[in-house]
Amino acid sequence: MSASDDQTDVERTLAGDLSAFEGIVCRWQGPLINLAYRFCHDRGRAEEMAQEAFLRAYRGLGQWRKDAVFSTWLFALATNLYRSELRRIPARTVSIDDIAEPADARASDGGLEDHDRDLAVRRAVGALPAKYREALILFYFHDMDVPTAARSLGLPEGTVKARLFRGREILRSKLPQLLAAPRLKEA
Amino acid sequence: MRRLIGHDEGEIDRILSREDEILPSSGFAVSVMDAVRREAAAPPPIPFPWKRALPGLVVGGFALVLVLVAGVVAIVQLGRASTIPQASLSFPSLLPPMFQRNIESAAIWTALALLVTLVSVKLSMRLASGKA
Repeated sequence: MSASDDQTDVERTLAGDLSAFEGIVCRWQGPLINLAYRFCHDRGRAEEMAQEAFLRAYRGLGQWRKDAVFSTWLFALATNLYRSELRRIPARTVSIDDIAEPADARASDGGLEDHDRDLAVRRAVGALPAKYREALILFYFHDMDVPTAARSLGLPEGTVKARLFRGREILRSKLPQLLAAPRLKEA
Repeated sequence: MRRLIGHDEGEIDRILSREDEILPSSGFAVSVMDAVRREAAAPPPIPFPWKRALPGLVVGGFALVLVLVAGVVAIVQLGRASTIPQASLSFPSLLPPMFQRNIESAAIWTALALLVTLVSVKLSMRLASGKA
């Protein structure tokens, strides 16, 4: 995925060549759907939200200032849309207090049941208050890059760092046995 | 404690970084492009008819200013009237002219308000039927 491809396709689309927009869709459909999926954990809804994001991108192509790369602009637009969609119709989640840790965080051989643990942590992330959940989703989606996550959220980096810290604190307090399990294994 | 937090963070990082990726369904790009083509083919949104609305807005604004000015004048007059010694209010012979003036003024304003309402209703009906 090259930034110059995006720029060329945007210019061609703005000049009236609709087929150029197809290049943008093909390049970014995977990331946009996966980002939406992390917000709602519903494949069908993720595709609907991603389609709406592409439509909004098409309508607003002229507003893209070339001082930022196209993908940053596209992710910020999509993130805003996904956040407002989820405020309108929240994803199905359970309360973070109702998320049970696996009965035994260690399997019989002393190893962890990775799948159960991963699932519990992801469900706990889904049940976090929106501002912490969004910061965590964007941080991990952008390969743990705080500046990029901050740009997507339209927030200062310091705010994102604080929300990541607080989000992790909540996870740690709600799932203490689960997250401390590897340490017990080493002991 | 610091070591534990660091370890937990590593654990959270590890779990959340390897979230499963989903692949777009086969018809997704086609569906998006269909929606984009529909969007491109749709007529542009109708701009707000400023030219038609301007006379109504000007008249409305003018009426609003008039009402405000009249309100201020009425308050000032009331203020002046209240400076008349209280005893004078007890004389019934002084009240009728004052009331009469107020009634005349109210009637004028009522008539003006009705006229503005009539004009605005007619204008909006005419705009709605597209005859302007």
